[in-house]
Amino acid sequence: MPAVMTVDPRSGVPIYLQIVEQVKRSVALGILQIGEQLPTVKQLALDLTVNPNTVARAYRELEHADVIETSPGRGSFIRDNGSVQSAKSAASDVARDALDIALREAKSVGLARNDVRELIDTGLDRWFPEEQ
Amino acid sequence: MSSIKISNLRKTYGQFAAVDGFSLEIPAGSVFGLLGPNGAGKTTVFKCMLGLARTTSGVVLFDGKPLVPETFERIAYVPERSVLYEWMTVAEHVEMNRRAFKAFDPARALELLAQFNVEPAKRSRALSKGMRTAVMVALAFARNAPILVLDEPTSGLDPINQRHVLSLIINEAARGNSVLFSSHQIGQVERAAEHIAVMDRGRLVLEGLVDDLKSDRKIVEGIFPNVTYTLNGIANDPRVLRADRTERIVRLLVRDDADNVATMLSNAGATGVRVVDLNLEDIFLFAVSPADATADVIAKGSS
Repeated sequence: MPAVMTVDPRSGVPIYLQIVEQVKRSVALGILQIGEQLPTVKQLALDLTVNPNTVARAYRELEHADVIETSPGRGSFIRDNGSVQSAKSAASDVARDALDIALREAKSVGLARNDVRELIDTGLDRWFPEEQ
Repeated sequence: MSSIKISNLRKTYGQFAAVDGFSLEIPAGSVFGLLGPNGAGKTTVFKCMLGLARTTSGVVLFDGKPLVPETFERIAYVPERSVLYEWMTVAEHVEMNRRAFKAFDPARALELLAQFNVEPAKRSRALSKGMRTAVMVALAFARNAPILVLDEPTSGLDPINQRHVLSLIINEAARGNSVLFSSHQIGQVERAAEHIAVMDRGRLVLEGLVDDLKSDRKIVEGIFPNVTYTLNGIANDPRVLRADRTERIVRLLVRDDADNVATMLSNAGATGVRVVDLNLEDIFLFAVSPADATADVIAKGSS
């Protein structure tokens, strides 16, 4: 798992959120499977060279979001209740955040609602042609 | 687990106050990064904390108690300038530390020196600046001290060894030890520290959790169609920490609810309004540089 996880400390996005997003994304993409164990806080902190309390905060957040469960002494695991559901909601979380950034940018450069709708339709035609 | 509390520390040299009423609480088991421009007073704070400089006034407490000679057993310090005896070998420094500190682990020191590629048989005078730093770091991290005070522990080190020092700091944090360190490499502080404090001209100007500072603070930027505009009091909004402008471009540093302030800026007539995330370097630079337009100037519009 560390192989697919990287953080960019110079980014304006808090490091703990970067970890949360990447775990969610990995679940969504099936890179992290149900029941799979996450590295310990210390191990991940050393792998990513980030503060262990930052990793611990990310794990707390993931637990709160029902993505992982932690049992003392055993470690943290990808949750298995409503597995498909959680992968699917993780996938839409990832997509929603990306769309939100794009829409905010569109608004900031002064596009009108209809211009944006047109852009989205063009994008849908390109990426989801069979669903037309 | 050890905590440090600095209260209203002052250190003056004649008329000049190097540290001017500085207070900071470093919780047990945290990694605290101290940032500040050159001459901000970081090294003086470290020296006063450790009794290496006489404080003019103020109190420093370790676990609630003032510094006594026994406290030194529990604090490992890497000074800004390495203090090595030029005629002694690195191995002799290891031996000297073994005699001086009960918990010092000479095998660990040699292991760290090997990781930094420092030859123990070398005399200090033959070491480069980076190697000297590496020796000081190796000696400090072999101390098994619950408190580490590191004044620029990566200065002169190559990127590999810099990363190595960060790993050592992170390892100490994972063991529940407290680390207070200063660095001009903000990217390193961003990685290793959970808390930061920014000093400027002897005073504390900003303090907080790195991730919270990033979440809370955004730049809201907008462009006005011409140089005559009014912000309708936005610059005086309590969420707006500072306002800068260059001709038609207005940049607001906003705490909390940046989207709302962005909407207000759009309503005031700005176009291209966007909310920009800040990294620690941006946050640092804002903390130590004065705003280039006061709220009043902007609110009145351009002349």
